[in-house]
Amino acid sequence: MAPTTLLIDKHVRYIQDLGKHTDSLAYHLTAHLRINAVYWGLVALCVMGHPDALDHDDTLAYVMSCWDDDAGAFGAHPGHDAHIHATLSAIQILAIHDALDRVDVPRVTAYILALQQPSGVFAGDAFGETDTRFLYIAVNALALLGQLDRLDKDKTVGYIRQCANFDGGFGSVAGAESHAAQVFVCTAALAILDRLDVVDVPSLGWWLAERQMASGGLNGRPEKLEDVCYSFWVLSSMSILNKMTWIDADKLIEFILSAQDPEGGGISDRPENMVDVFHTQFGVAGLSLLGYPGLQDLDPVYCMPASVIDRMGLRKGWKALPRRPL
Amino acid sequence: MLNLNPEFYTVWNYRRNILINGIFPACSPAEKHETLSNDLSMTTAALKAHPKVYWIWNHRRWCLENLPDGGEGDDPQAWRRSSWERELFIVDKMFDRDPRNFHVWNYRRYVLSNMPVPRTAASELAFTTKMIESKLSNFSAWHHRTKVFSSLRTSSELDIHHYLPNEFEIVHNALYTEPNDQGVWLYHRWLMGTGEDRQLLEREIGVIQELLCEEPSNKWCMESLVRYKQMLLQNHSSTLGNSEAQNLVRQCLDLLRKLEELDPARRQRYQDLAAEVKT
Ligand SMILES: [Zn+2]
Repeated sequence: MAPTTLLIDKHVRYIQDLGKHTDSLAYHLTAHLRINAVYWGLVALCVMGHPDALDHDDTLAYVMSCWDDDAGAFGAHPGHDAHIHATLSAIQILAIHDALDRVDVPRVTAYILALQQPSGVFAGDAFGETDTRFLYIAVNALALLGQLDRLDKDKTVGYIRQCANFDGGFGSVAGAESHAAQVFVCTAALAILDRLDVVDVPSLGWWLAERQMASGGLNGRPEKLEDVCYSFWVLSSMSILNKMTWIDADKLIEFILSAQDPEGGGISDRPENMVDVFHTQFGVAGLSLLGYPGLQDLDPVYCMPASVIDRMGLRKGWKALPRRPL
Repeated sequence: MLNLNPEFYTVWNYRRNILINGIFPACSPAEKHETLSNDLSMTTAALKAHPKVYWIWNHRRWCLENLPDGGEGDDPQAWRRSSWERELFIVDKMFDRDPRNFHVWNYRRYVLSNMPVPRTAASELAFTTKMIESKLSNFSAWHHRTKVFSSLRTSSELDIHHYLPNEFEIVHNALYTEPNDQGVWLYHRWLMGTGEDRQLLEREIGVIQELLCEEPSNKWCMESLVRYKQMLLQNHSSTLGNSEAQNLVRQCLDLLRKLEELDPARRQRYQDLAAEVKT
């Protein structure tokens, strides 16, 4: 039978155990995501009310071991080249632990700003592709570091405008089809830059609301399968636009809960599939925005514990569903 | 390692660094061309196995962009021309597996805008027609069609007004065949634009109303009718009679009430729209 409550203890143990199987092939094959995985795990733990489940000193030591001193930014794992995504994860983990004083802010800022292209979009690294995901990552990281003033905001917003489609959504590059993950990164970047006036709210609100399928789960584009991670990409956008009431919250909660592994813990993309930390984090994040009882608030703009963003004074206007009583 | 895990981006970076700094400076153009061509064919298999991995696409871009001048005969573009043409061919083959893969679509748009001899917009339109005919329920193809038309509009290569009657015919056929496909309705919305043309609005409202008679519980028909009737109210109030306007408001509210029953998951949105219509 599918679980009908959030199995917090199982998920906490699942996340704690993630780093323990360092002899497995899967562990090595996901090395390019390692620091991101730590961030996903940590945010999920914070939202579930267990921020101390990962050892504080170990976590910070690991983050600092990912520093790439040649590039002046963080890589995904010790010895990996710097990448903007790994750099944001490092900054987010340090911010959660109130340890941003460990970051060489001038060098990281310079690394990020140098990745902006003449069009306004950002590249992921010195060789990388360009994508609105990297633009959001840059904006988010600069905001957390208090360096947003260094960014050419008009140029940045100009690129997001180029990615806007007639359906109200946004694509990964100029010309690309609207996709829920890209809608999130563009909407959240605009929220941080105080430029939500760019969004066609009625069209996008409709497009987002139509992502809910008969199962209650959300998909990322028309006529695609539902997937737990879209609970975050779609819901975060809806909460930024204050349209959380435009879908059936109960059915979505039921769908996310049904994708839990009742034995080993963790959440998968959809019921009966293999769990992973990415979908665990986005499932828990979605539940928090839906007002699931007993969870901590998640800030959808930065995808961070709301208490951390509030402490840093960076909160933007967004509205989740009210927290339900236990 | 490259074969085992194509997402291992450090290894890709390392390879490019070696090529740029170690190997290419000592290479003839023919050798450079051969190395890059080999990388392209080597990654073709990886691409087929992992069509969603960014780093493979990324490496192919880099190879194509670094192709040297030269080739058989005296056309300095010969190598580049044949490699980019082949790339488009490979990309199009990938749609046989998954016609919605957005990496493939994005990459295809990239190839189109960078190939030495650009394709005409007319041949791109023919391409999307073919995709849509093989599967109506492919919003990626409809989306691409909007982009081709947008580029036509700015390049004045073809007159959009010449195409519009035909586009409405295509979309009407699609709506009758797949009345529950959101993508087709989205394309219809795009064709309607901002609703400046009162005659067009009234004609399309008529078409959709007919479809609704055949499909009495089709929510997309109702949603679209509300939208286009609202456009009439908003854009053409000065030419609408008072009673006609009141009629439209009443019809919108009726439709929204039905939508609430039919599609309770999105009830609050229909209530919000109704509140808007009333003001
Ligand atoms: Zn997913």
